[in-house]
Amino acid sequence: MIRTSKRSRLPVKRLFPVCWRDTGVAAGIFALAVGVCAALRLIDKSDVYVALIFELAVVLVSRFTNGYLYGLLASLGGVVCVNYIFTYPYFEFNFTISGYPLTFLVMLAVSVVVSTLTTQYKQQERVKAEAEKEKMRGNLLRAVSHDIRTPLTSIVGGVNAILDSGGRLSDETQRALLANIRDESQWLVGVVENLLSVTRISDSTAGIRKELEAGEEVLSASVVKFRKRFPSMEVQVSAPDELLMVPMDAILIEQVLINLMENAALHGVTATEIRLRLRRDGDRAVFEVADNGRGISREAMGHLFDGCSTHVGDEPESDQKRNMGIGLSVCMTIVQAHGGMMTARNQPSGGALVAFSLPLEEAPHEDQG
Amino acid sequence: MKIKDKILIVEDEPAICSLLCAVLDAEGYETLVARSGALAETMIASHCPALILLDLGLPDMDGMGILRAVREWSKVPVVVVSARSHEQDKVEALDAGADDYLTKPFGTEELLARIRAALRHTRTPAGSRALANTGKFRARGLEIDYDAHRVTLCGEEVRLTQLEYRLVSLLGLHAGKVLTYDFLMKELWGPGAKNDNQILRVNMANIRRKLEKNPAQPEYLFTEIGVGYRMTEEDAELPPRKDE
Repeated sequence: MIRTSKRSRLPVKRLFPVCWRDTGVAAGIFALAVGVCAALRLIDKSDVYVALIFELAVVLVSRFTNGYLYGLLASLGGVVCVNYIFTYPYFEFNFTISGYPLTFLVMLAVSVVVSTLTTQYKQQERVKAEAEKEKMRGNLLRAVSHDIRTPLTSIVGGVNAILDSGGRLSDETQRALLANIRDESQWLVGVVENLLSVTRISDSTAGIRKELEAGEEVLSASVVKFRKRFPSMEVQVSAPDELLMVPMDAILIEQVLINLMENAALHGVTATEIRLRLRRDGDRAVFEVADNGRGISREAMGHLFDGCSTHVGDEPESDQKRNMGIGLSVCMTIVQAHGGMMTARNQPSGGALVAFSLPLEEAPHEDQG
Repeated sequence: MKIKDKILIVEDEPAICSLLCAVLDAEGYETLVARSGALAETMIASHCPALILLDLGLPDMDGMGILRAVREWSKVPVVVVSARSHEQDKVEALDAGADDYLTKPFGTEELLARIRAALRHTRTPAGSRALANTGKFRARGLEIDYDAHRVTLCGEEVRLTQLEYRLVSLLGLHAGKVLTYDFLMKELWGPGAKNDNQILRVNMANIRRKLEKNPAQPEYLFTEIGVGYRMTEEDAELPPRKDE
């Protein structure tokens, strides 16, 4: 293996990877097999089971380690143990036992076959996960392009109408068209922000980058941004007296809060007030966005977070503000990536309430940014 | 003829250039335009503008290069206008000496407010005229008395620890400008400060609880997520304007 030429080094590394975890696993299983054999010998003096137990060890090692290396080593070790320790004459090599080379070959074959199957299986898993990700990306892109095309149509149309009219439009109509163009452009800004969030998630291979952030700061920052776009909406914010430090990618969570507030403002229709609340629930921080609007309809409730509510829709798209889909599915993706969950319901007093919770305790690996 | 503040717009997109020129002209500023980094560098040296609006994505060089070059010899306010919205870009620009950072797309009202703030900061050494005259920072009920080392809220004294006072006074000195976590850590805990800014967060949280009626809806101390903190603008000495 060592003498392999430079060209073949890569496949060698892939087929025979070495790592501490696998070494440990292999050594553990092997030691267990030796222990079991030694224990059984106290009960039963015959040694027919020894080869089988080591066979089993070889299968297990091949299955739970990567590549072929450990499986092969285990079969080699198995043969040695069977021959040297556990078969008569004990503690002596004896290669004259009939069928012995056969045992050795069978063990080797089993290890190669199981290793191959395991490797293939893992590869398939990877391909499947990749396909899943690709599908999600595709769904998001479809939702986005729909979300972009509609406002663009109305922007281009509106501008053309004003330019082509040669000043014949009344001031009032012109203003209305311009206001519409502004609203639609604002809309596009929001869509682009969401797109950026999505790239932030898929950029990082090892999940998202979490740092401890003060929950109340994220809350208030998102309100400042939201106010810029909806100055007339009343927003009430409340946070507990205790400072809640939550591990999160604050930019993404801020985006989630903005999305939820915008949804409340746009889909709530009659909503005039939004209440934003942060509270502690055991080992979780719960963020709530509630409005006093018309609430979420029964049909919409079903697939609120799956990103296709307006597209499979029985609902006519024209009079509905789109977004519902992408905004919420992005929110869901972000919250899930944090190990949190998100729920929506209608409040008894009227209006919708969307809440998501994030774990306060980070799983104990590097949290230093 | 009225003397106007000269603003240099460094931007390669013609559409944005003409928009900015129109808005700034209407507001009574004199505008100059540089379409490339090289041109910008010579224009900054020859025209000595009162303020620079800098786009980071230029065809011939990175805007950060211009910013660093300018900062070597000049304190002219630089407001960065960029389509890069990652907080890392903001932090980098602010730490390199930018006075403010606006992400495209931005509203014209916001742009004008930031320009006014940046210009105001350069007029006096301490950053603000009122502060230089009276030694006091005032913003809607909040008063920082720099001579007496006291902070009062609607006339009542706020009990701050030494560290909290230094934090508040620093933010007040640069009111309206985002101070990055890094900058604050270095100012308060020295250059050897750890990378970890938890202690800063905790102190800010305590200050908010003392200064703000509702800490989750602050009036004075704002957070720029992933970047740093900003104190609200100081009260204008002239009759209050409608915005902000």
